[in-house]
Amino acid sequence: MPETRPLRCAVIGAGRMGMVHGHLLQVYPGTELVGFVDPQRGTHERLSSQGLRAPVFTGILELLASASPEAVFICTPTHTHLAVTRQCLVRPLHLFMEKPVATSVADADAILALAREHRVMHAAGYVYAHLPIVEEARRLLAENVLGEVLRFSAHAYISEVFGPKSGWFFQRELSGGGVVANMGSHVLFILGWMFGRIRRVMASTRSHASTVEDSAHALLWFDGGVTGMLDTSWSMPGAQMLDYGITIDGRQGTLVLGREQILLHLLRPIGDHPEGWSEIHASDLPADTAFDISPHIGGESFYRQLRAFETACRTGHLPFCSLDEAANTQRMIEGIYASAASGQPVEVG
Amino acid sequence: MELALDLGSPESKHYRSWNERLRYVARYSRPEEIHVACEMARSVGVTSVMAVLDRRSEVALREFQVWRDISIWAVVPNMYAFIRDLTDRGMVGAALARFLRLQPKAMVATGVNALTALGPLARADFAAGALWLAEMELAAARGLHVRRVFLHPQLTEIGLAGRVTELFVEFARRVRASGLEAGLATHNPVMAFDVLGSALDSFAVFVAPCNALGYKMVPDRATAEALIRAYPGRFWATEMTAGQNLRLPEAFAHARTIGVAGSVVDLRAVEWLFDARHRHTA
Repeated sequence: MPETRPLRCAVIGAGRMGMVHGHLLQVYPGTELVGFVDPQRGTHERLSSQGLRAPVFTGILELLASASPEAVFICTPTHTHLAVTRQCLVRPLHLFMEKPVATSVADADAILALAREHRVMHAAGYVYAHLPIVEEARRLLAENVLGEVLRFSAHAYISEVFGPKSGWFFQRELSGGGVVANMGSHVLFILGWMFGRIRRVMASTRSHASTVEDSAHALLWFDGGVTGMLDTSWSMPGAQMLDYGITIDGRQGTLVLGREQILLHLLRPIGDHPEGWSEIHASDLPADTAFDISPHIGGESFYRQLRAFETACRTGHLPFCSLDEAANTQRMIEGIYASAASGQPVEVG
Repeated sequence: MELALDLGSPESKHYRSWNERLRYVARYSRPEEIHVACEMARSVGVTSVMAVLDRRSEVALREFQVWRDISIWAVVPNMYAFIRDLTDRGMVGAALARFLRLQPKAMVATGVNALTALGPLARADFAAGALWLAEMELAAARGLHVRRVFLHPQLTEIGLAGRVTELFVEFARRVRASGLEAGLATHNPVMAFDVLGSALDSFAVFVAPCNALGYKMVPDRATAEALIRAYPGRFWATEMTAGQNLRLPEAFAHARTIGVAGSVVDLRAVEWLFDARHRHTA
């Protein structure tokens, strides 16, 4: 594909996330929004009133026949992702899948297998992993600044569910679960990216407001020997947006990842990093963002996520946020549910 | 340089730790603490309060305005609350819930306006919906002395991405028709100026990130600063301390050199300024 031509992209599902991706695809210089697919009547009027100018199709085959996309952004409810992927991959289209990628490991693996079979690029929408401060924390770990990583503790809290809720998002069979699948999974993805393949999970979950789980505690064992705990809840007062943090202990020090900064404590100087406490702030890192679609939720990470995917489609090299990595996240999600149901540790490797 | 206090809900801010978050949220959930914050803010030179209107801030500010003259910059509609409602009630249900909370007089006024836009509203037209929600929230806040009105950034950035110029033009027209000034708060000021074109003059002020590290300055520091310098006195700076990474005196000094009219500062900055003044006078 010549580098100068925009990548032709379509969005399947014109809900809230589909709309966000549609806008970014229009604004981003390396992509062209060529169509939406949504069966709901009135979608075209609704989208065009927002300035989303691409044609709306009621079915995927119609989109493929008329708009010739090279990549699709799948933003339909989670339980439909596998079926939609099958329909899209009658042609070799690059796949961007909103998170969580599936309602089960079996579906996530099937989606990944399809992507591999058709030799297309793929990515999952775990958007917080694209924040510069998160990427920096991952880089520090990869550079072995902490030495051998031993353990971590993590949290992901938001104020969202304080009573009965309705809609597909709160039906396990449609959305894939509750806070673990839909909020905690952001941190699970980052943990998998940092520590590798998940091996074992022990968890408890609790529904105290909605019909899905509203909070969970999970002990996670990774293949490389790292162990740690995630505490997550969407019924925590005080956080309009996802508040997350990860504290990682290694033999050479400790790294505390927050929303806008990394606190690093080292037992001795490592590279450019001094002994004792130091801080890396998000504002010390380049954001390289030409448009911020959602300054207060996700911020520049949406733009960076799109760039990672577009670059992958052009270069043929899978991005770090590939469906392989997302399948690891899906194993953690399913492991947490299985362990919570059985009250026993679950081997998920 | 003029100052405005950002009194957005403490739950919507980023903090260095969960404990810091709880401390701020618990403190500024109490109306009397909001009064104290506004009083501290006034004493360090703050002349305006910028707030996404929710029940808590609205009540506290109404009480505060009984004994103090401070101008309110209202950010409408409260999109965080609206999006939460959307999940439960759907678009129509969420809008209707807001309508039913209005006083009868405001209900009639906004209801009549809604009738004139019934077609677009029924089609979930973006501009019609955004304007109706904004109008309902403003109507509900009639007891406040509001000077400037801003569209919520969630709507602003989507409107800018889609280049929906008519949303901004109509928003400014309606705000001015009600005797108030329209402002625009965005993280994408360069795009905003491009989209607004000749409608720029309908907006009294623009609020955008401005700091010496280029933090949150889109598309990049140089381009955003060039725009601010080209329109001296039109911009107010946010993110002046680059997420608490710069000291306030240096942050102010930098903002002055760029030529902003004022700065929108948060509660932490007001606390710092207040303490600094008392250290100085002690």
